[in-house]
Order: sequence, then C-alpha cells, then structure tokens
Amino acid sequence: MEKLNQVLLNPAVQVGPDLAAWLQAGGGLGLQAALTAPTAIIRCIADADLRGMGGAGFPAWRKWEATANAVGDCKYVVCNGNEDEPGTFKDRTLLSASPHQVIEGALIAALAVRARCLIFYLNPHQGSSLHTMQQAVSQWQDSPWPEKLAAVMGHALEIKVVASSGRYIGGEETAVVASLEAGFPFPRKKPPFPAEQGINNQPTLINNVETLANVSHILRHGAGWYRALGVGKACGTKLYSLSGDVLRPGLYELPMGSSLQELVFHYGGGMLQGKAFKAVFTGGPSNTLLTARDLDVALDFDSVWLRHSRLGTGAMIVISEGSSIIRKVAEYIDFFAKGSCGQCPSCKCGTFQLARLLDRVDGGRHSPADLDALQHLCQILPGSGRCGLIDGAVTVVKSSLHTFPEEYGLLVQQPA
Amino acid sequence: MSETICISIDGKVMAAQPGDSILQTRLHGPEAVTANIGCMGQGVCGSCRCLVRKAGERETVSRLACETEVEDGMQVSFIDYYQPDHVHRYRPHDLRDGWQALPQLQQTFPETAHCRHCGGCDRACPRGIPVQQGIALASRGELPAAAALFDACIMCNLCTLACPENIRPNHVGLYLRRAQAIQNLRPGDLLRRLDQQARGQLSIDTTAHLARSES
Repeated sequence: MEKLNQVLLNPAVQVGPDLAAWLQAGGGLGLQAALTAPTAIIRCIADADLRGMGGAGFPAWRKWEATANAVGDCKYVVCNGNEDEPGTFKDRTLLSASPHQVIEGALIAALAVRARCLIFYLNPHQGSSLHTMQQAVSQWQDSPWPEKLAAVMGHALEIKVVASSGRYIGGEETAVVASLEAGFPFPRKKPPFPAEQGINNQPTLINNVETLANVSHILRHGAGWYRALGVGKACGTKLYSLSGDVLRPGLYELPMGSSLQELVFHYGGGMLQGKAFKAVFTGGPSNTLLTARDLDVALDFDSVWLRHSRLGTGAMIVISEGSSIIRKVAEYIDFFAKGSCGQCPSCKCGTFQLARLLDRVDGGRHSPADLDALQHLCQILPGSGRCGLIDGAVTVVKSSLHTFPEEYGLLVQQPA
Repeated sequence: MSETICISIDGKVMAAQPGDSILQTRLHGPEAVTANIGCMGQGVCGSCRCLVRKAGERETVSRLACETEVEDGMQVSFIDYYQPDHVHRYRPHDLRDGWQALPQLQQTFPETAHCRHCGGCDRACPRGIPVQQGIALASRGELPAAAALFDACIMCNLCTLACPENIRPNHVGLYLRRAQAIQNLRPGDLLRRLDQQARGQLSIDTTAHLARSES
C-alpha cells in the first residue's frame, strides 16, 4: 500500500473551498457520526491517540475533556492557524487546498465541548489560505449543518474567521487568547490554562489546524483505523515539512513513526549535489539537532523525545556537510530575537547577547571567554520567560554546542 | 576576614566578598576587564549592563553590575552595547523653539507612537524609571513631565535593547532633557560643580577601587 499522502493530503480531498465537492468526496460523514453520538466523541479521539500537531504532541483528548468539563456559559474553540516559524508550511497547505476537513474537524470539536463560538485564527501573511477559509466557512454557514448542530447542542454556534497579528509569538496558546481578546498577542503565565480560563475567562479549546483536520476522518473511519495508520506504537499520519539541502523539498504526509532516513533519502530524494547529510533542525529551529547517528529515528513524538529532541511541528530543515551549523543557529537566534514580544527583558537581552556571541564565533572574531559566556548564557536563560521562546532559542544553541563542539573550536577533552 | 562567597560571571566561578558589587568582584579577578566598564563603579555610565540570576530563582533580570551586590550562587552574564540599525539625528538648534518641540519629537522619533505597552522597558531599566509612562507622556505632548521622568537615566541602553518596537526610550528621554535644558536656566548644583571643577577643587580619585583590596 502506498504510504504517502493517505489522509490529509489525499488527492481526493483536495477540493478547495467547494463544500459540495467536499461532501461528494465523503465529507460530512464524520460530523454526522459525531451528531449521532456526541458523548462518544472524546472517547473516540482518546482511543485514536490523536496528538496536538502544533508542536507539543500533547494528547488532544485531554484538552478536549478539560474544556468539556470546565464550567462556562460561552465556551470557545479556536483553530490555530498562525503558523509562522521557519521551515513549517503544513497548515497553509491544508487551509488553502482542503479547508473543509479542517472546518468539519473544528465543528466536531465545538460539538464535543459544547462551544458557542468557533474561531479560525489565521495568519494574514498567508493570503490564499485566509481567503479560501473565508469562502469555505461562509458555505458552511449557508448550509443546513449549523441548524443540525444547534439542535443537538441546544444553542447556536457562532463561526468566525479572524486574522491574527501574523507574528510568530501570536501562535503561542496564551498569546492566541490575548490576541482574540483584541489585545497584542502577549503570552501569559500558565496556569490557568486556556482550557480552564481562556478568551474572556471562558474555557477555550485551542488546537492546531493539522490536529483538527484529522478529526473528521477519525470519527468517520473509527479510532482503530487511525491507529493502524501509524508505524509501531505511533498512530495516524503526520505532515512533514521537508526543506533545506535535499533534492525534493516539500510537504509529505507519511505514517507517524516513519524514519528520518526514509523521509530524507526516499521521499526527499536524498541530499542536494550528493553532499553528505550533516544534521536536521527538527520541528522548526527550537529543538535539539538530530545528526547522521539519528537517521534511524522514528519520526513520532515519543521516539524523537527519546533522542532528547522534539518532533515539534514536523518541520525538518536538512543541513549538508559544508554548511556552517553556527551560521544557521545564528540566523535562527536572530529570528527569535526579532520575534520576542518584549515582556521579558531576559528574552530580548538574552537572544541579543546570544546572537552577538554567535556572530563573533561564526566570523572567527571570538575569544575563548566568548565561548564560556555563550555556554553560561545557556545556563541562566532557560525558564526565565513567560513563554517558551527563550527556552527554544537556548535549546538550539545548547544542542549545537553539544553536537558540533569542533565548529565552535571547543576541543573534546581527552582523558589524561 | 569575612566569609567568601562564590558567583559565576560569564562562565567563570569567582570568589567574592559579601557586600561587594558584581563589578568589584570582576575587577578583583585574574583577567583584565576591557569591556562593560566605564565609570569604575560610580553608577553613571551604564556600561556594566548584565543579566543576573540569583541562586534558586527562576527570573533572570537586567542590572548594572556596579550597583548590584553579590550573593552566593549568583550567575551573571554581561551584555554588549546594543546599536540599533537606525540612528536618530537632530541638531541642538532644532530644540530651541518650544512650540515645535512635539512635532519635532514626532518627526525625529516616529516609532514612539508604536508602543505596544509590554512593560519590558520598565522591567529592563536598572534605575527603576517608569520608562513606558515616560514614552506615553512624550507621545501625548506632556514633554516637561516626560523629561523629568528620564532625569535619572544614565543611558545604559537597556530599554532600547528591550523594546520590541525599536523605540529608543533613553534617546527620547535625552532629547527631552536637552530641550528642557536649552529652554531653562541651569540648575544651581550643576553651576556649583562646574565652578568647583574650574577652580581645581573637583578631583577624581582613580585609585579608589584599589582601596578595598589593600584593606
């Protein structure tokens, strides 16, 4: 059986904003199943072991259950489509090519937690996905489905498409809440978690686009079907955004748990210009680097975690021999420095100083004291911010220091 | 001899005397200090910007090393001078017309109106200046009040580094203080100091920092 693009990127569901075409292609069956047995939705999602695909890999049903059990008279469901980090380009593809599977999944989520408001929070820099979603949502609003939902829930569901600020930080869960409360997307301290107190202090379920896109398929085909899609213990499929020094960069939907080797060398066509594989920045540039030793790793949340890294969003930025890891890391740190919201001076000042030191090292203008200072910053910065931005920045620097000490001119100590 | 404590400065563990500042501890170390130092601990130049994390604390804060007393287990990372891409230029002559001060300010520092009220500048300021309030006052034309708030500013540049909207609060403050000074009589204490200096009564003791190590 062909393992590529089985579900979300299946050509049969790439119907654009046309609702009739989506229903023709089997759409609506998942929502119908959910309407028939709304109390069984969360159990089904739990049995399928659907994870949060925005980066955390947190079991989706736990958030759903927490929001469903929380007390509130105006619960919200937010589809987080703010995708803005380097190397990740999965959500924009889903939103523009097959928006209805995302919307149907979000409607099922709204039904499961009894929400009164469903918001599609989308990055305005991705004009086509925003435009397509506006068209697609208006078709749902004009269809009989909202009435069917209202009949089961006992109240109407408001559906909105909202443009985010387009800033990287705006995708952070609590920043989504702040942004939708009509403020600047400042992350907030957790707890309370949005599932308990989100928008206007109401319970709010926030899920990534890819997470919600899977939901209608799970409800339609069953949890067992979804589980069987994965490799080994992993369940379902995953969208991998493959970029960097590979012959065929692009978006690949593969069984969750496919190996890095398979992604890069089979689907990605191998390395550009026949160069040797050096490393990969996983899940966007805020995780621990995987190297040639890790090519056998199964790309699922738990297996990558066992290698002390994270699958994150499924972005894989491949680096070949001959590329400077320090240069790449410096570029990403600069991205974080510019993306910092400003609330925590340790984040702004820390990313600035990391960038300065990396720039000096990359240019060969550093002193041994600079390397000590760089490693020291990696000790004092983690945990000092309200959100995880500074932690992500430090993780990638720390990882590069650990994995490629020779590039920094750090000699590996030989036993005496 | 009092008990010695240990702090870590840019990755190097150093012995420190309780009561000493971070800067004093650094100066007593084996290596020559050639950066992040200016007024040798007088708290007026703002060069010794650093990030400080106390033992057992989660928060990392920005401070001046010359004004921060060492504590056992403290970790310190010094911060380079931050030079933004865009530098503001204006002539002292531009500040003479009080009626034009606000439009001139808006023209010179247009980003002042973009404050997103994150409060990062307030937290970054080692002098405890309510920087965000100063920028808000300046934006709405309360120029004398804003100038007064920035009176204690020592131009360490940490607020500029902290600002995600690329506002340069300390330079806005400096602009206002200059405008204020140009249009006012000089303060008495400044006139007295200048007079003392002119008569050779104001000497600077460049060996003061050695006194402690000799004692």
